[in-house]
Amino acid sequence: MANRLTGELIKRLRHYAAAVWAENIKEWKLELTYKADFARGLIDPVVYLLPYLLYGVALVGGRQSENLLRLVGTSDIITFITLGYLFIGFLNMALWAMGFSLRKEQFYGTLESVFAAPVPRWVFTMGMSMHSILHQLLMIAVQIGFILLVFSLKVNLVGLLPTLLVIGLMLVALYGIGMFMASFTLIFKQGWLVSEALSGMMMILTPIAYPLAVLPVFMQKLARFVPTTYGILTARHFLMGERIDFTLRDAFARLSLLSLLWVGFGLVVFMLIDRWTRRSGTLSHY
Amino acid sequence: MASRRLNTELRVVGAEFVKTMRIWFSYPIMIAFWAIFPLLWVLPYVFQGKALVGSGSSEAFRQLTGSGNYLAFVLIGAMISTFVFSALWGVGNSLREETYWGTMEYIIASPTHPLVILIGKTLAEWTWSSVMVLFQALIIALFFGVHFTLAKILPVLLLVVLLMIGFYGFAIAFAGFTLLIKEVHGWVHTLEWVFFLFSPIRYPVEVNPITALVSNLIPLTWALVAIRGIMLLNKTEVNLYQTVVILAGMDVILLVAGYFLFVYLEKKTRRDGTVGMH
Repeated sequence: MANRLTGELIKRLRHYAAAVWAENIKEWKLELTYKADFARGLIDPVVYLLPYLLYGVALVGGRQSENLLRLVGTSDIITFITLGYLFIGFLNMALWAMGFSLRKEQFYGTLESVFAAPVPRWVFTMGMSMHSILHQLLMIAVQIGFILLVFSLKVNLVGLLPTLLVIGLMLVALYGIGMFMASFTLIFKQGWLVSEALSGMMMILTPIAYPLAVLPVFMQKLARFVPTTYGILTARHFLMGERIDFTLRDAFARLSLLSLLWVGFGLVVFMLIDRWTRRSGTLSHY
Repeated sequence: MASRRLNTELRVVGAEFVKTMRIWFSYPIMIAFWAIFPLLWVLPYVFQGKALVGSGSSEAFRQLTGSGNYLAFVLIGAMISTFVFSALWGVGNSLREETYWGTMEYIIASPTHPLVILIGKTLAEWTWSSVMVLFQALIIALFFGVHFTLAKILPVLLLVVLLMIGFYGFAIAFAGFTLLIKEVHGWVHTLEWVFFLFSPIRYPVEVNPITALVSNLIPLTWALVAIRGIMLLNKTEVNLYQTVVILAGMDVILLVAGYFLFVYLEKKTRRDGTVGMH
């Protein structure tokens, strides 16, 4: 009996994994159909990052900041800011790419077919997330390549492995945020305003190009609920020795807790809104 | 005959203005959003400044711009760029929106030239962004201590008008491109980031020789340098005269090029029979 149940479960998981992979491949095919747009999308993150770096250079008149050294124990502003913006790409991915995955299906006219398919909705969004994560990694590679070419980055390569672990945990939490956003597009349809507002606030709270200490106290408290805060601070700690005011154990524990909370919250909200949209018959509304 | 035609076209411009305004006022939350968020977007720059410099003024920044007040620098950049980006999205992308609404074919089939419709949209966009900038100026004056006096506002207004005349020419040409290549959302974003990189919206472009060189081709650079000069450095009218001449010259080039490009692209789309395509 137990063996039969395990067999059933494995069969179902393989079925889901195939659906996740198919969704990922479908997204890549769609993107690669518009080659010029795809190339543009790879250059965008570099163009986006440069004003922040040049602004930093204009402020301190070079690459080293005495004040940053005093605050976090490192003075190299180029590496500090670049690492911050590399990781914030994942937040944008959750809010925009994953959050708008359902809206995109609606534009293509395939949302109803997707919803009628014999897989749970989270499998579908996971396929979208897989594509988004792979795409984001590609963009990060382009960003790093450009920055290495122009500025050179000074990072501790030994810190790469724990950094990847932190990113993995952060991605789980961001998946929850993505689910939450995707559910919003089911109600509001044109949910870009919510995404824009949320991303604007998270971009301020997350210590991307500055340490938490420069934020007003209430913002510092709010920042503790944002997974990218721990993601960026811990990754920079491993890669360039940024001083952090919590232990590594705390960082992993809090990030794990945030992942659980965000995923739970995202899934519950998504389920409730999905049920409500079906009952009210507004799924196909624009 | 000519005056009757002019009257009819003016009525179309008026009708388009009213229609666009009605659509915007159907979403009151948008007013609050656009009045507040462009300023919130510059907060990371303010905190970045605090972290890297440790105070509200930077000596290195002063050497580049004449003023060490980086907070005022980015806030003025945010305010003026609201006009530019609203033109880019509101006018440049407006015909694409008509396609989404399913009304593009009616515009093309009507006896009015689409350029007249675009003029109506441009006027509506100008009014909308002016109101948004007014809100932003109020917030900046109340919470960030940047002062606006009448003696400063008048030359700044002149510069903004000159900047926008040319930019609307560019946006009209861009609207023509949307007829041709349809999905331009991503391209508008890229253009937005190009403006952020090559004009002194958020940082002084003089910090890098390449950005400094390219920025000279963008009217926004000339306007922003002059506006900051007036507001932060109390510069004399002589500098203003030079900028006014350069901006006026750019306006003529951009308006003429914008008009001809739009007319050409609109004709091409009609000829190819791709107006109704998505």
